[in-house]
Order: sequence, then C-alpha cells, then structure tokens
Amino acid sequence: MSYIDLLRESEDMVTPGMSACQGCGAELILRRVLQIAGEKTVIGIPPGCMAGAGVVGWNLDNGLKIPVHITLLDNTAALLSGVSNIYQRKGLDINVIAFAGDGATADCGFQSLSGAAERGEKMLYICYDNEGYMNTGFQRSSTSTKGSMTTTTPVGSVSPGKVQHQKYMPLIMAMHNIEYCATASPSNMKDFTKKIQKGLEASKHGFAYIHVFSSCPTGWGCNADLTIELARNAVKSNLFPLFEVDNGKWKLNENTNLIPVSEFTKKLKKFKHLTPEDIEEIQELVEYRMNIIRKLADN
Amino acid sequence: MERKSFITPIGNKGIYTLDTGSWRTVKPVIYKEKCIECGICMTYCPVNSIAYDKEKKYHINLDFCKGCGICSRECPKRAIEMKAEGEI
Amino acid sequence: MSSDKGISKIKAITGNKAATIGASLCKPDLIAAYPITPQSSVVEGLASMIANGELDSNMVQVESEHSAMSVVQGAVMAGGRAFTATSAQGLALMFEPYFRMSTLRLPMVMALATREMTSPETVWSGHQDAVSVRDAGWIQIFVESNQEILDMVIQGYKISENQNVLIPVNICYDGFYLSHLTERVEIPDSKEVDKFLPKYNPEHVILNPQQPMAVDPLTSGEYLMEYRHTHLEAMQNALRVADEVDTEFAKNFNRAYGGVIDTYRCDDAEFVIVTMGATTGTARVAVDMAREKGISLGLLKVRYIRPFPAEKIREVLKEKKGFVVVDKNVCFGWNTGALYMEIKAAISDLCEETCSLPVIGGLGGADISLKELLNSIDILVSSAKTKAGQLETYWLRNDL
Repeated sequence: MSYIDLLRESEDMVTPGMSACQGCGAELILRRVLQIAGEKTVIGIPPGCMAGAGVVGWNLDNGLKIPVHITLLDNTAALLSGVSNIYQRKGLDINVIAFAGDGATADCGFQSLSGAAERGEKMLYICYDNEGYMNTGFQRSSTSTKGSMTTTTPVGSVSPGKVQHQKYMPLIMAMHNIEYCATASPSNMKDFTKKIQKGLEASKHGFAYIHVFSSCPTGWGCNADLTIELARNAVKSNLFPLFEVDNGKWKLNENTNLIPVSEFTKKLKKFKHLTPEDIEEIQELVEYRMNIIRKLADN
Repeated sequence: MERKSFITPIGNKGIYTLDTGSWRTVKPVIYKEKCIECGICMTYCPVNSIAYDKEKKYHINLDFCKGCGICSRECPKRAIEMKAEGEI
Repeated sequence: MSSDKGISKIKAITGNKAATIGASLCKPDLIAAYPITPQSSVVEGLASMIANGELDSNMVQVESEHSAMSVVQGAVMAGGRAFTATSAQGLALMFEPYFRMSTLRLPMVMALATREMTSPETVWSGHQDAVSVRDAGWIQIFVESNQEILDMVIQGYKISENQNVLIPVNICYDGFYLSHLTERVEIPDSKEVDKFLPKYNPEHVILNPQQPMAVDPLTSGEYLMEYRHTHLEAMQNALRVADEVDTEFAKNFNRAYGGVIDTYRCDDAEFVIVTMGATTGTARVAVDMAREKGISLGLLKVRYIRPFPAEKIREVLKEKKGFVVVDKNVCFGWNTGALYMEIKAAISDLCEETCSLPVIGGLGGADISLKELLNSIDILVSSAKTKAGQLETYWLRNDL
C-alpha cells in the first residue's frame, strides 16, 4: 500500500475542528501520526500548542477518538512509562505515544525524557519541534535557531535575538542506546509515514524517538500556506537533515540539491534582522553538524 | 465506563469540535481538468479537509477548512486556486 | 506461629523493612521510587524481593522523585496498583505530580519516612515535610511503631481504594527513629491479606482504548468547583471509612489502633498531652510517670492529620483543664507547630478557659527527652492555675 493510499484510507482520530492556527505544522503531524497508529493507541500530550488547541478534551468532552491524557510539562515520558509498564503486565498490545513540543522535550521535560529513554521504556516519543514555546506567545526554547527573534529574546539596540545556537536533540537521543531514533519532516511525507510506522513497531521492543520539524507560520512570521515549503527548505539546506538510527544502524538521506541556509531564513520575519555574518554562523553550525552526522552514518 | 459524577475529571461525553470553517476568508477550489489525482494535496492538508470518493475523486470538504492555502501552494499541477469567500 | 488467622511470622525488623513487607503483601503491580535518606532501604528491600522472585511487580528505577510520582500516576491511571516511598527533599521535588495524584482521585499508598526540610542542611528526623504538603489533598496518617507501619500500609490501600474515598494515602513514620530502629513486628499471612484486600478494580477512570476518554480535560471554573466539592466530601467520608477499616482489620488480624485518633488514660484526665508519630511512645511513659506524681494526665494520639478528625478531638478535649501539643515541626505563620494550630482551630469555640501549651521540639533529629516532656507538662499544670487560653510557645531544650 503506498503512503498516499494509507493516508487516504485511514481514519482521522482527531476532532475535525481544533483551534490550531491556519497552516499549523503540528496539527498536520498529529493527525497523520494518529491516522497511522490507529485506534489501539493511547497518547500523552503535555501543555503546549497541541494541548492548547483542544485535543486533550474540554470539560466533559474528549478531543480525540482515543484515550488522551494531558501530562505535566515536565513528565510526559515518565507518566507514559507507568502506563506502558501496566499494559505489559496485563499483556495488552496498545500503542503508547508521547506527542510533545520542543519545550516539553528539550527543556522542561528533558530529565524525564532522558530517564525513560535510558531505561528503554516501551513507547514512541514524538517531538514536534517548532523552535519555541509557541502556545504561550513564541518565547525562545533551547531548540530555537540562533538569532531568532522571540518575545524573550527580542531584537533591540542591546540584544540581537537569541544568542545561543540550538541544542540538537536527535543526536542527544541517539546516544541513549534506544531502539529507534529518527528525524522526520512533513514535507517528505513518504519518509515521514515510514518512520512513524517503524517507530510504532520499535516501541513494542524499546524506546523510539522521532524528532519532527514543525513549521509555525504564526510564530515565525510568514503566510500560512508556506508550512510545507519551509519544512522542505529546512531539509534541503541541511538545517534539518533526515536520518535514522535503527537499533544502532545509522542511515542518512543525503541531499542531492543542497540550498543555502539563507533560502530558509529569508522567508521568515523572525530572521528579518539577521546580518550576512549571522546567517554565515548558522550555515557554519549546519555544516559542522552535518559532518558529524555523516561520520556517524558512515560506520 | 459510565461517567461517575465529578470524581476524576474525565471527558467522554462527546468530541469537542470548533467551527473552524467560519475562520477562513479564502477557500480552495479544485480545477478538475488540471487535477491529476496524485493525492498530494490530501497528504498536506493539516485539517484533513481534502477527501476522496469514487465519484468526486479528490474534493474539498469546506466544513472545517481554515483557508490556509497549503493545498494550493503544494499542488504540483497548480490545479487549486484560493478564491475569496463569497466568490463562486 | 499459626492461628486460625493463617500463619504469621514474628520478626525483629526496622521501620523501612516493615514498609517493604507491608507493600509487598499488598501485591503492587508497579513500584517506582528514588533512593533518599532515610528511606533508601525501603526501595532496596523491594528490589531484593523482586530479584529473588518473592514479589511479582514491575520496578521502575526512575531518575528523580518527580518522575517516581509521575510513573506511579501513569500506572494507576492505566488500572494498576502502585507504591512509592520518599522523604523531605524528594517529597518537595515531587510536589507537582503529588498534588495531581489526589486531585485526579487516583488511589495509592506512599510511605513517607518523615525528615526535616533543608535548610539548614539536614538528613535527620522531623515532620516538616509531611505538614508542608498537608493541603495537597492526600490522606495523611502518622504511626507510632514499626508494627503500625506495616499494618497501615495494608489498611491504607483498603481506605484509598474504597469507592467513597478514592484518595491516595501517606503513611508517615519518623525518619531514623522508626525507619532505622528495630522492633518486634508480626507479619500477617499473605493469604489473609489477600482476603482483606481485594484487587484494585477502577470504576471511575481508566486509560484504555476500549473505553476512550480524555483523562483531565481542560476544565472551566464552574466544573472545577464541582470536582473540588466532591473531593472534600470524599475526605469527610474517609474519616468514617478509616474507623471502619480499623475495626475490620482488628477482626482479621487481632490488632486495633483506635481509628482516626487513639487515647490513653484520657477519660478521667484533667490535662492531656497531644502527640503525633513516634513521640507518642515517649509520651505514654510520661503519662504514667505524671500520674504517679499525682498529675491527672492523659494522652491523645492524633493518627490522621488529613482528613482532620476535628469532631473526635473536640470530644476528647472538651471540659479538660488544659492540653499540651508536641509538634516536631513549625508553622511559620503562627509561632506554633502545625498540629497545635489545627487543634486550636478545631476546639476554638469549646471553652475559653482551657489552657493550651504549644510545644516545639525534635526538629532535625534533635532528641525529645522524657525529662523535657515532663517539664512541659509541669509548665502547663502550673500555668493553668492562673492563666487561660494559649500560653507562650515552649521550645524543648537540648544540650548544645
């Protein structure tokens, strides 16, 4: 079955009307993940854009057709460890999925994520990385690209936006000896679908982590129709390379038509103030990181 | 499991649905003659407002479409145009 | 040793070991705990029992107490029975999911080897950790002996999982004074415990695709008030259920603890000493010695601080000439301990003449000596001749 057939025929487990922004990358990712996972699934969603958009329920209603729990910002992986353990004891074959933003993954929830991954808890942890705390008004996170204009790293006469480079979660998680670790982008939907399927399968044997690029037109400052194009450019510029580590085996999808990072940054208001030197710094980091990933993938 | 009044907060009465179709100011229109039925618009719609059946093939369901324009932008054959709400 | 109550064993064990054995008898599906002085051997004991095949349970070696409470929260949500244990700093660290455990109405038992809260830097005994979280919606029980630890862990699950309660339970026992000291403990027969404590069968919440639900939807204020209302009602139910379970436990295991409070020589007493936790043991001796000296003294042992047994305490303290409350903690806003403050609130409209002495001692592992307890009783008795109402707080003395 081709990925298009799969997505066409599978049931949408999310409420048809959720208050995500127009063109929200995370809404797209959530719907696709649950289409692929199916109804024998429980999902934990920490506070953030997706929880804020109504999928975790309101008063007496659910927001999904499957069980969902809004975890605390800092304990998604830990709480789902408990759930996963009980399902194993009871012999239940249920997908256990975490769907967390970069704040709940790389910052506040990093400790519990690292603990659960190190223990090899059986779950699929998906991080939708929109490079900031978007639900609360675009504050910076540790995965925000250097130079990003956010509400906590504003651009003024004294401050040039975020001064640190982004923390790179995929490699950090790959070093936890987990069952499956991958990066994915909704622009490359065929690859995305395959990785989600692999992640779900791997989650039956151990910890699976997938880091997904989630465009945020509202927060980054561009038209709502650019979601997929931005994700595509992020992949093509190696700002967000696509690779996977399947039980220790590395595989990198090398780009054949590379574009400069400036192609990605020029479309966004949050990078409007960047000088050529600033963009050069980001380009250098991208190349430095790619060299490391290439060497790791070579073995 | 029936709801026991106000013990653990749980939501299982219905599925909370917002009328997001009322948000848009532009709506997508598919030009059938240009459409090659590749299905790519459907894979990229964040709201799952592009459905398929044997008669209408790929078609827009305007109930919840937010008018983001991704389908129009990504269509490889430029077969989808965003038109102002109210335009026919 | 056998009886018609099955075969029970008698062992000399520490408080931590009693908590370990009590928990194992309740057959938890999942245990997640982080080591912290003075609780560490609880977790070690359980790990050892699992490793030897004596206990069939999933043990999750979490990386912090915050995760420990989160893991058990997920486990109970998925329909399992869970157990954890901690102390002071660990309790403080887990406060975020701790508050949620009770407000999600997820039943469980947590052993708390009570310890003074840092700062000053300390690892030793105190009650500050438990009293600091007393308004997080949990049931809190203080015990006096290692036997009581083991028995209350079992009773704790029974109370917690009762359909009219559904509130998690803290079993609080003094760090080092109970956790590390050895006492004679009778270990009940496992089959008898199984009869007393059926399997956990959740009817109010479950994470299962066969019964899809959002657990904890975003909730508006009007609904939130309903949830709080039922939680408070359940707390009041717990006062009744606690006494019922104590009675039922006595029928099955021949040991009774009095329910939400216990008294010793109080009926004809003019003065009462009120204690919570291990100090009670010393206070019992103080009562006997005071009686020999001609002071009409009785003991009120507060077992449950949450829910607060206001009615029963009023019954005991009404028409008494005076009472002393020994607090192993401070209530920062009131210049007394927390237990004194709560008792004062409970009896406030009873009698203006009743003389009461707030006593603070035993913080950070400092000794509460028999001599000092008797001293505070003397202060109360002599003050009661001429004064009424609340006396100046007396800080128990130690040799520095």
